[in-house]
Amino acid sequence: MELWDAIRGRRSVRAYTNAPVGRETLDRLIEAALWAPTGGNAQTWRFIVVTEPARLARLRVVSPGLLGDPPAVIAVCADLHEARRLGSTLGETFLAPTDAAMAAENVLLAAWAEGLGTCVIASFHRAAAKRLLELHNGVEPLLLVSVGHPAVVPEPPIRRRSNVVFYEVQG
Amino acid sequence: MSPSEREARAFELVGYMLTSARNLLDETPAYGPFRLIDAASRVIGVLADANEASPRLSVLRERIDEGKYVVMSDSAAFRTFLDELVLLLVESMEVEPHA
Repeated sequence: MELWDAIRGRRSVRAYTNAPVGRETLDRLIEAALWAPTGGNAQTWRFIVVTEPARLARLRVVSPGLLGDPPAVIAVCADLHEARRLGSTLGETFLAPTDAAMAAENVLLAAWAEGLGTCVIASFHRAAAKRLLELHNGVEPLLLVSVGHPAVVPEPPIRRRSNVVFYEVQG
Repeated sequence: MSPSEREARAFELVGYMLTSARNLLDETPAYGPFRLIDAASRVIGVLADANEASPRLSVLRERIDEGKYVVMSDSAAFRTFLDELVLLLVESMEVEPHA
């Protein structure tokens, strides 16, 4: 798949079939994540790939934004203690979450290129997810990415350029 | 649906509503009505899987699921959609629950 096709074609999928996503495929998505930009090459991101039905079910209970019963979820996390140690306040408050977002985008595009659907989810309870995922001290879940075979692909949304894009200065 | 399956579905739904209650304090305001109608759809879904949903409830669920995601793209259309749902509710009052 051409990169532009993935960029323009990707949609937030909220309905999945029952078909599983294989471990090799998930590994490729994580590989894509690991090649995202990361401030100072800090790589303070942590990825928890969840496929066990019982664990997915528990995660769904505390994640209102996790819709459509996906067969896999990638929790994009950050070690904020490590981010602070390596990058001070900027590392902890800005670089770590920005890195996580860029890694997530790589997952979304790589998944779309594999014929898979995804959705980025911020509507979940962080402390509850942290406990269910048994995250280490200092590691925080920032985003969940649902992954699966789309049952329904939404229509493209409207994306504005007017009053959004400026050259040289906003003016 | 066995009692344990029913309890598991109810537990998930309760979790959805409780977590939504907390998260909505910090989220996009329009997600509040979205979570409410999605919860309504889920309640009907649990009843349907237990063979306890009436036709009028099934119609409401179908309509909710057809239009709920418009919240993501068009706030005016979402408002209209919610109005239409309430009016459909009124129409449903005239229908026998098990007709």
